[in-house]
Amino acid sequence: MPSENSVIKVQGLEKIFPGDVRAVDSVSFDVREGEVFGFLGPNGAGKTTTISILNTLMLPTGGKAEVLGEDVVTQASKVRKGIGLVPQDLTSDEELTGRENIELQSKLYHIPSAEAAKRTDELLSLVGLTDSQDRIVKTYSGGMKKRLEFATGLVHKPKILFLDEPTLGLDVQTRTSIWEHIRKLKSETNMTIFLTTHYLEEADGLCDRIAIIDHGKIIALDTPDGLKKAVGGDVIEVEVAECGMDVLEMIKTIKGVFLLEGKCTGSKARIKVPDSNAALPLILESFWNKKIAVLNVAVKKPSLDQAFLEYTGRELRDEDKSNGGRPSVSAPKRGRFRRRK
Amino acid sequence: MLGETYALVIRDLRRWYRTPGQIILVFTTPLMWLLLFGQAFNIGKLAQDAPGMDIREVFGGATDYFSFMAVGQTTFIILFASLFSGVSLIWDRKTGFLAKLQVAPIPRASIPISRMTSTVVKSLLQAVVVLVLAAAFAFIPGLSGLKFSQDFGILDALGIAVFLILLGLSLAALFVALGLIVKSEETLFGLINLLNFPLMFTSSALIPIALMPDWLTAVARYNPITFVVDGMRQLVFHTSVGAEYSVGVDLLGITVFAVLMMTLGAVLARKALLRS
Repeated sequence: MPSENSVIKVQGLEKIFPGDVRAVDSVSFDVREGEVFGFLGPNGAGKTTTISILNTLMLPTGGKAEVLGEDVVTQASKVRKGIGLVPQDLTSDEELTGRENIELQSKLYHIPSAEAAKRTDELLSLVGLTDSQDRIVKTYSGGMKKRLEFATGLVHKPKILFLDEPTLGLDVQTRTSIWEHIRKLKSETNMTIFLTTHYLEEADGLCDRIAIIDHGKIIALDTPDGLKKAVGGDVIEVEVAECGMDVLEMIKTIKGVFLLEGKCTGSKARIKVPDSNAALPLILESFWNKKIAVLNVAVKKPSLDQAFLEYTGRELRDEDKSNGGRPSVSAPKRGRFRRRK
Repeated sequence: MLGETYALVIRDLRRWYRTPGQIILVFTTPLMWLLLFGQAFNIGKLAQDAPGMDIREVFGGATDYFSFMAVGQTTFIILFASLFSGVSLIWDRKTGFLAKLQVAPIPRASIPISRMTSTVVKSLLQAVVVLVLAAAFAFIPGLSGLKFSQDFGILDALGIAVFLILLGLSLAALFVALGLIVKSEETLFGLINLLNFPLMFTSSALIPIALMPDWLTAVARYNPITFVVDGMRQLVFHTSVGAEYSVGVDLLGITVFAVLMMTLGAVLARKALLRS
C-alpha cells in the first residue's frame, strides 16, 4: 500500500536543450513509497528526459530532484544503488545467454555470486525463461527479450523500478504478461514503480496516480478515477422514436437529477450527469411517466481518453500523427539515449 | 572496481569467441601475412648480395627477413585490435547497453578500462599465435621459420609481453575514449583508416629502417611501434647488432608513450561519460 513517505521529490525540474528546446519545463511532483506512478503523455512530451534525469543519466538545467532522499545531481552514486531501470529499448547483450545477462547485471550491482545464482533462478522463473536461460539472446523472440529486460532490472531488488514505455511495440500477449508482472510486483513487494507510457489503457489499469505530461509540463496529476471525474460526468444516452424539444424540456424538469448537459443527437437524447447510477432510474421513470417509449439506453463512463482530450485539447493519437514527419511510435527505436543529447 | 571490471572483460571475451568464425580468423589473418608478406616478399635476397655486409645490421639482429618481419607482425596484430577497440562501444551506445552501465553503481572508469583490458587479452593471444606459427614454419619444407636465439628464455618472453601490452594499452586507451566520444562508426572507421597503415609503415615493424629513405628514417626512429619491435627483436635474437636503441631506452620510449596516451584517453573518456 502506498504510504505518505515520498521516495521521489521533484521541484521545478527543468531541462532545456540547446536551441531553447524545453523538454522538461518546471515540473514538480512527489512519488510515494509503494505506489505505481505513471507519466502519461504523447511522444516528445518529456517523459524519457525526466526518467533520464531521475536515473542519473542526464543533468537537469534547473530545479531539484531527490530520489530516495538523495540529490540526483550531487549524490548520483547513492541514487544508483537504490534504483532499477527497464529502458524502452532491448538492451540485453544479444551474444550472451539470458542467464549470463542477468548474472552480469548482478555483478554490476555487487551481489555475492551464491545469492546472484539464486536470484537469477527466481527471476528466470518469474518471467518464464527458465527453459531458455542458456540460449543466446539473439535467438529470443521480441517478447522474451522484453521479459529478460524486466528480470534484469529487478536483480538487485531496487527500491524504485523505472519502466520506460514498458510495452511499447509489443504484441497483445506480451503486453498482458508484462502488466501481470507489474501487478504481481505491486501486490507482493513494496517496490515503488515509476512508469511512462502513452497508452491510456496501461496508465488506467496499472497506476495508483497518473501525471499527464505534455510539452514538458504536468497538466494534471491525480488518481485515474480523479482524472476521469474532473472531465465531467457520465453520459446517459436514451434512444427514443423522436428526440425533440419536448423531450429536452422534460429532462430539465426531472426531480433529483443535476443536469450538466442535455441535447439530441439523432434519435438519441444525450444526458450528461455527475453520477449515472443515481440518475438513471429517475430519468427512466420520467420517460415512463410521460409515456415516451424508450428504445435503448446506454451509459458511458468517462474514460482517460476523454480526460486526456479535455486537458490537452488533443487526442493522444493525433499527436502521434503530427509528429513532424517522424516515424510512427509503434516501432521500437534504437539509440534512445543518444537521440536526446 | 575490480569485480565489475572483471565481469565486463568476461562479457567482451564471450562476445569475441562466440562470433562465428572468430577462431578461424585468429589463425588465418596472421597466416596470410606471414605467408604472403613474410615468405613471398623476401627482401633478404636483395640485401644478401651486398658484399662484406652483416645482414643482421639490416634486419635488427635477425639472420633473415622472415624472422625480422615475424616479430614485427605481432605489433601489427596489436595495432589493429587496439584501433578497433572503441567500435563496440558505439554499438553499446546504440543498443542502450552503455546507458545501462551508466545507471549501475559502478565507477565510470571500469567502462573504458574493461574494454582496454579485453582488447589487450585478445590481441596478446593472437600475437602468441603469430610467433608460434612463424616458428612452426621451419618445419614446413620450402619455408623458412622464425629463428629464436638459443638463449631465448622465459624472461625474454615476459619482456615481449610487456612491450606488446604497453603498445596495446596506449592505443586502446585513445581509441576506447574515441569510441565513447564519437557517435557514429563511420567517423571512427575513418580515423582508423587514416592511422593504421601510416603508423605501421612508418615503423620498423615490416621494413628495416636501413632500407628507408632519409626523410622516413627520421619519422620511423620515433614511431612508438619502432620502440616496441626494436626491443622485442633484441629479446628474441639476443643481440644488439642492428638495434636502434638499447632495450632500456625502448622500454622507456613505449612507457612514456603509454603514459601520454592513457592520460589523454582518461581525460577524453571522462569527458564523454560525464552527464550533460
